[in-house]
Amino acid sequence: MNINELYEKFKEKFEANNGECYRVGRIAEISELLINILSSKNCKNISLYESPLSRTAGLVTELIGAGLEVHTDDLLHNTKTDDVGITEVNWGIAELGTLVQIAPEVDNRLCSTLVPIHVALLKTENLIPDLDSMLDVIDNLPQIPGFVGFITGPSRSSDIERILEIGVHGPKQVIAILVDE
Amino acid sequence: MASELKKEIDSALQNNILRGALERFSQAYPVARDKAYQGLDFEELRNKVQEVKTYAADHIDEMIDQFEKNATARGAKVFRAANAKEANDYVRKLAKEKNVKKVVKSKSMASEEIMLNEALREDGAEVQETDLGEFIIALAGHTPSHMVLPAIHLTKEQVADLFTNYTSEKNDPIIAKLVGTAREVMRQKFIEADLGISGANIAVAETGTLIMLTNEGNGRLTSTIPSTQVFIVGIEKFVPKFKDASYILKTLPRNGTGQNITTYVSMYTGVNEAYLPDGTKGPKDIHIIILDNGRREILQDEKFKQMFNCVRCAACLNVCPAFQLVGGHVYGGHAYTGGIGTLLTAFLTSEDTAQKVQNLCLQCGSCTEVCAGKLDIPGMILELRNRYGEKTGLPFTQKFALDVVANRRLFHSMLRIAAVAQKPLTKGTEYIRHLPLFLSGFTEGRSLPAIAKKPFRDIFPKIKQDVPSPKGTIAIYSGCLLDFVYPKIGESVVAALNEVGYKVVFPENQSCCGAPANYMGDGENYLKSAILNIHGLEAEKVDYVVSACPTCTLALKEYKQLFNDNPEMLKKAEELDAKVFDFSKLITMLGGLEKKGDDTPLKVTYHDSCHLRRKLGVYREPRKLLSDLPGVNFIEMDESNRCCGFAGSYSIKFPEISGPILERKLKNIFKTEADVVAVDCPGCLMQIAGGLEHRNSNIKVKHTAELLFDRRNV
Repeated sequence: MNINELYEKFKEKFEANNGECYRVGRIAEISELLINILSSKNCKNISLYESPLSRTAGLVTELIGAGLEVHTDDLLHNTKTDDVGITEVNWGIAELGTLVQIAPEVDNRLCSTLVPIHVALLKTENLIPDLDSMLDVIDNLPQIPGFVGFITGPSRSSDIERILEIGVHGPKQVIAILVDE
Repeated sequence: MASELKKEIDSALQNNILRGALERFSQAYPVARDKAYQGLDFEELRNKVQEVKTYAADHIDEMIDQFEKNATARGAKVFRAANAKEANDYVRKLAKEKNVKKVVKSKSMASEEIMLNEALREDGAEVQETDLGEFIIALAGHTPSHMVLPAIHLTKEQVADLFTNYTSEKNDPIIAKLVGTAREVMRQKFIEADLGISGANIAVAETGTLIMLTNEGNGRLTSTIPSTQVFIVGIEKFVPKFKDASYILKTLPRNGTGQNITTYVSMYTGVNEAYLPDGTKGPKDIHIIILDNGRREILQDEKFKQMFNCVRCAACLNVCPAFQLVGGHVYGGHAYTGGIGTLLTAFLTSEDTAQKVQNLCLQCGSCTEVCAGKLDIPGMILELRNRYGEKTGLPFTQKFALDVVANRRLFHSMLRIAAVAQKPLTKGTEYIRHLPLFLSGFTEGRSLPAIAKKPFRDIFPKIKQDVPSPKGTIAIYSGCLLDFVYPKIGESVVAALNEVGYKVVFPENQSCCGAPANYMGDGENYLKSAILNIHGLEAEKVDYVVSACPTCTLALKEYKQLFNDNPEMLKKAEELDAKVFDFSKLITMLGGLEKKGDDTPLKVTYHDSCHLRRKLGVYREPRKLLSDLPGVNFIEMDESNRCCGFAGSYSIKFPEISGPILERKLKNIFKTEADVVAVDCPGCLMQIAGGLEHRNSNIKVKHTAELLFDRRNV
């Protein structure tokens, strides 16, 4: 599969699991897209776990410039009340629509777990075709990281009358922004 | 069997909410599961699960040592707990040292097994179950009714009342809002907790990694916020290599809930970072308890060792006709329910409970078809039943009946007497509609066939066999039902075999196959039957042995398992196994039947007998034989391979369960609008025909052999 096919597969599966999926060509385009998404959802306060993509995109400056309140530290406190958490994830599994994060750092996990909306940034080139290839990649790292998390859409439960409800203890919405550059 | 179990069954059956929820789930589950497996080879996957888990079980000490070494090297503390007390004491001591006040838990069946919550509460800690279903049943004061869907027995109205009580705020019975309440309540608990406790689905020896699969996100929060974390991991959770997790990641969610993958798959290796009590960030204090608590005993028992291949997906519950009716509470354990639950309860929590609830197994084998670890759950339950039977003996009436059946002469003469004595009950028909007094359970919801005036063994010598130059000789094994209730099936079998060029003999010394004894846990009488029949059938003198009852066929084939220390008998039993076939299979093997006969239109549907389909793997053959009949319009019924509820003595022991299972079968039959239901098992025939007769239906039930005979020999 070429990168476009991988992306289409990922998007199809990610949306089938109640996620929202976007794609931009250049890093510089992330902030505009993100500001549009956040304003359409009426989000004001953001917990941001800084990463190479967020730094290159200058997200802190851009989001503050758009009138949003951005927190990059004291995240145990801030993720309790903020509307959105933003993190960069390491890979995506196309066949499952799954985001994969290496996140031994507690703030990385808080920004992707405790908040009602999680925005995940991901380089399109880091899409992996399937589960087995993904496990190979992790297995071939110098060591298995302290925490590896697979996230496939927002949290869910069918514990009451077997009716599927989205948004239990984890995020109610998960948004993936894939970046080609 | 204890009357408490009967009471539990009654109250479960009267719970319409539970019945409705379980029934809807039992219909939706297979569809969702099939869809999730599209494009994957389930057989191949479960062979791999079996392979890696069996390897781990065979090298358990190595697995634990490796895991401990690797997890410890990465900063986790590993403790090996031999029993519940050691595990609980470890956590209690840790909680005291850390001055723990508030504990959050994400689902861990191992912790329920050792009753860790109770132990911690005794020390004054607040322990919160955070899984939505677990939270609900904790508020209700119930035990789980399902291993994956613990609150499946409660309605949204009941949940709303529980939440209103708990929060002192009015909760409406709207599921989305109820989930919202749980979210708000739990967020506070997560944030305040100083200890997190969870289980793990997979433990990887070569890396010291624990893998957890969840959907709600409580597992992630439990392991993210508190600065101390305890994982409780049974010694059956190991796989050798990191990549081995693949097979479980592919089967567990698909089998459990019909999902391709759970929302969260979290992999923990050693320590990760946490906010410490002083507000700074630092390494989390991680404790991994590797729990034995009776598991080594399973491992040392050759017959039960395969339980280590279980991945706890609960698929065996989801497809079990008995579980689908009564749910988990009847299984009595506080953690494990259903087929696998019965086995786990026997070894890990309560032998007394297991001895009672093992009776609920129909031996239909549905669970073996979907099991991700390829466990023979009915086989193991039968072994339990036999061991309990040996240890405590069977109730007098059961034992007496089985002793009679095992005594060929006595049994046969009693049946001959009964054929005469039943007259007042049949009222001149072929059916007994009501039995008096304590026997009335037999005729609840179905009629019983009358005993034939002449048994097959008396009819056989008079059958004309016109086989000019026979290709060989086949011994017919009739079995009790065919001999004494349905002799015409026997005649039909002989006619078909004659037609394909074989002469049929009836070995006079054959006796009951022993299956009733075996399925009731009476190993002694089963062995007696085996010896009688091996000698009586003299397989060495014929080319094949034919039986038209799959349960008998299976018993004859399995005799060899009884003679591991008797080479002479083993040889004979193996010869019998090699030569015995069920009717449809044998006729097909011998070239099938020429197309001929009555071509008036006839709608025929087919019910698969559990033993024929799942134990003997025969299901294409009868369908082909029937479809090939001129004039026959063959229609598949829904759930054709679902048990009819007969299951031998089960329908007598549990008419209240057998009845509704039959009801569902009849509904599926009615939907086809067929004229005839074909079956290959006289037991199923008796059950289904009895049900139809009781409802005054015109639909006929016929053994495949008999239908072939009726349509072709006109």
